[in-house]
Amino acid sequence: MIQSYFRRYGMHLILIPTALLWLSPLIWILVTSVKTRIEVFDPSSGLLPHVFIWDNYPAAMAVAPFGTYMLNSFLVTGSILTGQIITISLAAYAFARLQFPCKNLIFGLFLLQIMFPIYAIFLTNFLTIRELGLLNSLPAMIVPFIASGYGTFMLRQAFRQVPTELGDAARLDGCGHFATLWYIYLPLVRPTLIAFGIISVVTHWNDYMWPLLVTNSESVRTLPIGLGLLAKSDSGADWTRLMAATVIVVSPLMMLFVIFQRRFVDSFMHAGLK
Amino acid sequence: MRFPSLKPTRETLVAMAMLLPSLVFLATFTYWPILRSIYFSFHDVMLGSNKIFYLGWENYERVLHDSLFWKSFRNTAFYTLITIPMSLVCALLLAVALDSKIRGIALYRSAFFYPVMIPSVAAGMVWVFLYAPGYGPINGMMDALGLPKLEWLYSSTWALPAIIVMSIWKYSGYFMLILLAALQLVPRDLYEAARLDGVSGWHQLIHITIPLISPTIYFVIIIGILHSYQIFDYVYVMTQGGPADATNVLTLYIYQNAFQYQDIGFASTVANMLLLFIGGLIAVIALTIGRRVHYLGR
Repeated sequence: MIQSYFRRYGMHLILIPTALLWLSPLIWILVTSVKTRIEVFDPSSGLLPHVFIWDNYPAAMAVAPFGTYMLNSFLVTGSILTGQIITISLAAYAFARLQFPCKNLIFGLFLLQIMFPIYAIFLTNFLTIRELGLLNSLPAMIVPFIASGYGTFMLRQAFRQVPTELGDAARLDGCGHFATLWYIYLPLVRPTLIAFGIISVVTHWNDYMWPLLVTNSESVRTLPIGLGLLAKSDSGADWTRLMAATVIVVSPLMMLFVIFQRRFVDSFMHAGLK
Repeated sequence: MRFPSLKPTRETLVAMAMLLPSLVFLATFTYWPILRSIYFSFHDVMLGSNKIFYLGWENYERVLHDSLFWKSFRNTAFYTLITIPMSLVCALLLAVALDSKIRGIALYRSAFFYPVMIPSVAAGMVWVFLYAPGYGPINGMMDALGLPKLEWLYSSTWALPAIIVMSIWKYSGYFMLILLAALQLVPRDLYEAARLDGVSGWHQLIHITIPLISPTIYFVIIIGILHSYQIFDYVYVMTQGGPADATNVLTLYIYQNAFQYQDIGFASTVANMLLLFIGGLIAVIALTIGRRVHYLGR
């Protein structure tokens, strides 16, 4: 009796405290963003604020051009995704369905990019961007990520699951390879495309290191860079405003995550399966 | 015997056209930078100067005798080799706990997964606050539990472990999801059979569950290694490599050499050592764990 009771609820006894522990940084962000500055530095004031202060949000919006940052983040993330979808669909189709010399070697070259991403070779990439005259521009944050070894790999696996007869039938009807890819293959692998898209958007929306290296003026900064700058200029003095800014930066993705929770979870869940 | 004709077939031409867009970008932003980094490491190159002098192996000799390089190398290795196994264990326990018909599974999943959605800069900043020695809640909790308060990010002993704890919080949920997907594919009757044979609890986890999902565990380890480049963001935001270089890591050391000391040749040499470390680590894991991976029905 007791044992079955434990089996039913015991798991929650462990999971609920663990989940709260995991959630505590988020709770801390939210709570601090509506506190006063005095309460932050006074440990005896307790977890919850005395009165909810909403002024921190307009104060954060006023101190930095978050509208511009958000537009830039949107443009950079959107352009990367569009470019990636084009390059990876073409390459994945070639690897999945066409015969050509040195196929395995070329595929290996694509996989090399997974092992050595931009973050590992940022120095010489920075020099390339500078020589191309792209420093401090939106394209500087976009072009290094247009090709994706990981995306090509993911999509190739998905294309291989498509029955060859479907493609062959289209080819017999006079479709070229490009038309077959567009009309037959891409619609059939939509779940994989969405999964890749979500992972790509999360990665590039949140990217810090690369935009930090290639931008230095207000007009091209993205949200994470803006937040980093604000943190530096505040240097821990004004946590309430900083936490309000954090909420602003974090909320677009969090809102998407809450609305499309299943999609997000499925995307990250099945990214590892072939 | 027929020799393949040298004239490319139509199919080859189509394939080349399809690969070209990717290859142009890969060549510009992956192959060329790697080759250039190797070339620079044998030369004296300064940022913003066009003069290049051949140095031979001098940069490599310098790097091997540079105590700060070794310190950041040790920190990088320590961070990678502690964070990945600890996150993996956390993720595995969470995944096993959630791989059952308990209530509120979607809520739990989100609670553990949401840190992945938070930008590294925001995460780093919040944890600076949480770790604050005077008014931070972590020290508040330590105090309440009767434990000594620590200086955390200001202590050369605790700064790197503090960043590791934050990384475990940030990535366990991601790894948990990938492992959960694998667990759901394990046939239920295998657990049933094990239970009838009197195998349960820890034994079941170690002898049945883990071997069955070993390809996914292998995949998670590789993903973990690739995510370890993000240490740059945390260190840059949280400690700037300090105190006394206790959290300096290879990526930050490359950054300092290139942009503060303008020494592109030496920075490239350090970058090549990083590539060797990551490449070597992946090779070792592929040859040890990769070899033992058990593919169910494949």
